[in-house]
Amino acid sequence: METEVIVFLILAFVAIGSAIGMIINKNAVYSALFLILNFATVAIFYLMLGAPFIAMAQVTVYAGAIMVLFLFVIMLLGAEQLKKADKGEWQKPVAILFVVVLIVEAVYLIFGGGGDLLPMINEVSEVGDPISLATKLFKEYFLPFQVTAVLLLAAMVGAIVITKQDKKS
Amino acid sequence: MVDYLAILPEIALLVLAAILLLVDIRLKEEGKDTLNWIALFGLVITFVLTILLAQPGEEEVIWGGMLRHDWMAFVFRLVFIAGAAFTVVFSRGWEAIGDRGEFYGLLVLSTLGMTLMGAAGDLVMLLLAIETASIPLYIMAGFSTKDGKSAEAGFKYLLFGAMTSAVMMYGFSLLFGFGGTTDIYALADAIAAGNVPTLPLMTSIILVLVGFGFKISMFPFHFWSPDVYEGAPTPVTGFLSTASKAAGFAVLVRVMLVAFPSVTVEWQTLLAILSAITMTVGNLVALRQTNIKRMLAYSSIGHAGYILMGVAAASSLGVISVVYYIAAYLLTNLAAFGFVAIYYKQTGSDEIEDYAGFSRRSPGLAFAMLFTFLSLGGIPPLGGFFGKLLVFSAAIQADMVWLAVVGVLNAVIALYYYLTVIKFVYLRRQEGDEVPFPVAKSQSLAIIICVLGVTFLGVIMAPMFELAQKVASSFF
Amino acid sequence: MVPLSYYVALSAILFALGALGVLTRRNTIIIFMSIELMLNSANLLFVAFARSFGDVSGQIFVFFVMAVAAAEVAVGLALIVAVFRNKHTINIDEVSGLKG
Repeated sequence: METEVIVFLILAFVAIGSAIGMIINKNAVYSALFLILNFATVAIFYLMLGAPFIAMAQVTVYAGAIMVLFLFVIMLLGAEQLKKADKGEWQKPVAILFVVVLIVEAVYLIFGGGGDLLPMINEVSEVGDPISLATKLFKEYFLPFQVTAVLLLAAMVGAIVITKQDKKS
Repeated sequence: MVDYLAILPEIALLVLAAILLLVDIRLKEEGKDTLNWIALFGLVITFVLTILLAQPGEEEVIWGGMLRHDWMAFVFRLVFIAGAAFTVVFSRGWEAIGDRGEFYGLLVLSTLGMTLMGAAGDLVMLLLAIETASIPLYIMAGFSTKDGKSAEAGFKYLLFGAMTSAVMMYGFSLLFGFGGTTDIYALADAIAAGNVPTLPLMTSIILVLVGFGFKISMFPFHFWSPDVYEGAPTPVTGFLSTASKAAGFAVLVRVMLVAFPSVTVEWQTLLAILSAITMTVGNLVALRQTNIKRMLAYSSIGHAGYILMGVAAASSLGVISVVYYIAAYLLTNLAAFGFVAIYYKQTGSDEIEDYAGFSRRSPGLAFAMLFTFLSLGGIPPLGGFFGKLLVFSAAIQADMVWLAVVGVLNAVIALYYYLTVIKFVYLRRQEGDEVPFPVAKSQSLAIIICVLGVTFLGVIMAPMFELAQKVASSFF
Repeated sequence: MVPLSYYVALSAILFALGALGVLTRRNTIIIFMSIELMLNSANLLFVAFARSFGDVSGQIFVFFVMAVAAAEVAVGLALIVAVFRNKHTINIDEVSGLKG
């Protein structure tokens, strides 16, 4: 096996392990930390896929900003653990069935068919370098980029309105 | 130049939102009423500007394919802006939202997102448009934070919304993988050229449908809507059940018809089955409701089922019927939630039983309510009747007679519970039903416009039908 | 080189685990984190496809998904705080005071 495939498999193992760790952990803080580990591994995948800019954004935005916000709220509410047992009843069988189907699909993709559908990743040079990304972002995707500003404005106003205690009361 | 002229409504809405947020800071507590007027006039001006300046012309592909400047986008823009304007009128004086600049600002931003949803021609644009429309709606549903129910409604809405949009995004990524492009119009050719097998393609279509189905409250993604409709402030509920649903249908029609012609038969069958289940579930559960907001929530699930029938027909007549139905449904449902809002403000109750004696307290309003509910039930010669007629004939034309039969049976069930409400309004009495019922002038005017509009759609079909034909011509 | 199908399989597994978390956990914050995991798996798929097509638009999609996720999380956590103030719990079953 090539080195890159071995690295991939090790990282994939870490990613799946940390995802499982996140969903089974009772303590929300540990769950958040597992998720950060997961995001960091995915950032390395982005580097392997020739997307350095996205990898950096992944670390700063996801693992940094978003997860810090999560940890902050968990600590603020003192909601590390639920008082009642944390398990769903009727959803469990449905969920497990769903997961089994998807994992079978994954195994099928790796070992079986899908070969002709999904080509090997071809060696494309510099597809994801920040310059080509920025050129495309500010030319072709200029309008969506502007809409992001509207979206973030709405989210910001909303988050403030909802958390701000009413001044009249 | 066309690029900017075509997004003039969006620019106007953005300016309006900014004005609302800024003026709010300078206003004193007593003057907050002004915000309502600013929002209303701003939306009316945007509506007029859209008709005058932003009509589709020669050039259809704008902003490098991000948006489409066609009749579909144009008609739905008008639908959303009108929906927002009526919502502003009914929010007037509503506790905790009626005097808040942020509320109107978010309403306008959400409308902006919807207008982009109707025009989006690219998956990236579509994703952002859907989120720009949804995120303000989550906040609006949970706006009265002091009312525990409202905050819960907002939270529940957000949780289901975030979940379904995550699934939808996975579907988008698979589609990108099949086609190698994010342009919805180029996707069809790319999928055809790439010989994508049906099974994986249908899987990704289903994943995408999860997101769209949530927006239109299609079975099995409907169960959030009664709770959210009940908990959210009533004017917001009206907006959710009309404009937001219409936006979902605009996206559904465009994406299904444009991007997946290679598997039309498969998705037609899927949507036909979902349509039948959606309307049956909605109407049957609506029968048992005692709270009028929950009843209207289930009834609006039923209506989503009827409209889906038009989408499932996948024909020119199908698109026409969808547009016609949505136009009629917009006016009637906005008016219906308008009554609920007005009634709640006076009596503090949403129970159907408490509507007893309403006809004595306010004969005019009760008559308008009779009109609206008959149109929802599909009685001729009102707008709702022709909407249903068109949808059923589209289904029959597409060789789905069974679906039309299910639709007719459902219409009968639906009529029963609409008439139950009317029975309380007209035939039952309760103490104190001689006291007259004050209604704000702007609100009675809005209701008169709705009732006239519904009658117009029922009596003179031609203008709206021609407009709907133009919409259909952008696909066939 | 790592075949594309490996990445597709990995992202499918991560997506499934995210969905499992959403469906089985009762702690709303963990449900929310599971949704982030699902989004992340979609992102991984986008970048992998972008590489195989040699087309940056997949990466741009991811960029926008990140903006959307940030907005959703900000509003979602604000709503969690608002609900917590009323109910003093973040258990989804106890939060659902509205009848199911």
